[in-house]
Amino acid sequence: MMTALLILHGLLAVALLGAVTHQALAASAPRNEPRTRSFFTRFRKTDAGAYGTPVAILFVLVMIAGAILYPRYRLVVRPLLQTLDLRAANGAFELKEHFSALGLLLLPAYWSCWKQPLEPAYDGARLWLTWIIALTVWWNFVVGQLLVSIKGLGV
Amino acid sequence: MRTHPRLMLFSLAACAIYTLAYYFDWSLFRYYLGTGTFGLSAPASAGAPILWYGWLATAVLGGAVVAGITPRSWTTRLSPELAWLIPAVAMLAAFMYELRWFL
Repeated sequence: MMTALLILHGLLAVALLGAVTHQALAASAPRNEPRTRSFFTRFRKTDAGAYGTPVAILFVLVMIAGAILYPRYRLVVRPLLQTLDLRAANGAFELKEHFSALGLLLLPAYWSCWKQPLEPAYDGARLWLTWIIALTVWWNFVVGQLLVSIKGLGV
Repeated sequence: MRTHPRLMLFSLAACAIYTLAYYFDWSLFRYYLGTGTFGLSAPASAGAPILWYGWLATAVLGGAVVAGITPRSWTTRLSPELAWLIPAVAMLAAFMYELRWFL
């Protein structure tokens, strides 16, 4: 059951990672950028405003799955990290814990900034909040994958 | 105005309160690994406590109170720049707090 939830947690995180990365790059693209046929330019041409609510929902779903898995991490994975003296891995998860919480608490401001019609006064806040959420998601994803690599799926 | 000042204020206050909560250990409740129960205190047999859920609850409650009691005239004067500046400082503070693991 917990292994299935861990896989679901990972899959939801992949969807969140894709959505928020797309949005962050699209929000950063200058509006007067000339049209080219490059993949990167097309990637950034997406409608960033369409991602606000899906990113918020996915973030909450990933958090719920992570919060359910957390006691198993403390019982099974953390003691292993301590036994192997993997202090950096332990610390990386501690940061993941804080970044997840701060990201969740940021969601109301983030979602509010992306509500249509977009307010020009919040252009800067919208861009930076999106990048903060994106960097949080990237950190949490990479650390999660590293820990699964160390412990394996059998939680 | 579509951007909700109270939601902004909630996020800012909750991020600041979460930072204070883990630093000063203001956990609203604890989760005990041994018994698998939530509570304020428990015997040693209940096992190690998880504080994270409690810190998060403290931040949500604190943020809701701050956003709820602050007069509307104040919330509308909130600078949009604070919306990302305070969370960025909170993330940096978390990084500095956990730096001991990497040294």
